[in-house]
Amino acid sequence: MALVDARGLSCPQPVLLALGEMKKLGTGSLEILVDTDTSVENVTRAAESQGWNVKDVRPEGVGYRMIVEKA
Amino acid sequence: MFGWLKRGASRGGEAPPAATAAERGILVFENTSEVIRAEQRLRDSGRPVRVMGPPPEIRTGCDLVIEFPLIEELAVRRLLEEAGLQPLQVVPVSGPLLKPVDLFQVKDFGDFLMIRAANMKLTFEKETRRIVNVSGGGCPDVPYLARELVGKTLEQAPEPRRIGHTLCGYALQLALEESRRRCSS
Repeated sequence: MALVDARGLSCPQPVLLALGEMKKLGTGSLEILVDTDTSVENVTRAAESQGWNVKDVRPEGVGYRMIVEKA
Repeated sequence: MFGWLKRGASRGGEAPPAATAAERGILVFENTSEVIRAEQRLRDSGRPVRVMGPPPEIRTGCDLVIEFPLIEELAVRRLLEEAGLQPLQVVPVSGPLLKPVDLFQVKDFGDFLMIRAANMKLTFEKETRRIVNVSGGGCPDVPYLARELVGKTLEQAPEPRRIGHTLCGYALQLALEESRRRCSS
């Protein structure tokens, strides 16, 4: 699965990295690592606005591992 | 709340039309709610005003000021008085330390442009003009505003001033207007 590691980056960079990877993939699954609640919210909004679904968000270390998918 | 303004926003942007530094003045108000009301009143009357950060020399009032053409001072004062608004100070921009500070910061991320207005950031894709991120503020209506704007183009986006209820909505409105202005120029 493709992975975007956006930990340590400030807003809006996690969103822009995730969107760039989604655009490259077109469809499929993508893992995104972020380290703040705000980044989770921002990436979720951006992903959903592009037709991607957030399948899972789980705490990992000091941040979160998100999985988004598009059929 | 708006102390970040005094930490130094970038300079840039344009003065209201047909006004050089010596011909401009600034209106200082006690709080930002008065600034918002005054700006609306003056805009409605067709005055070319602009909300900016206070210059270093101004020690009173809130963290927003209104720049206006000084030649219109009497008419501006009258309009404000009619609206029940009393500025703390009306100051001619007579030197660099009295020059108001631009509210906007712009960051270019390649395919994306981020416009920061005061405490709010709006990011859009240059090619499609679609808003991809709204953040900042810390006001309770920011998540709602972000939901309403993200995914829409600059033109489709609802006016945050109309749907928001806080100063963050107001700042986001400024960011949206600046984004539109930059895309149209």
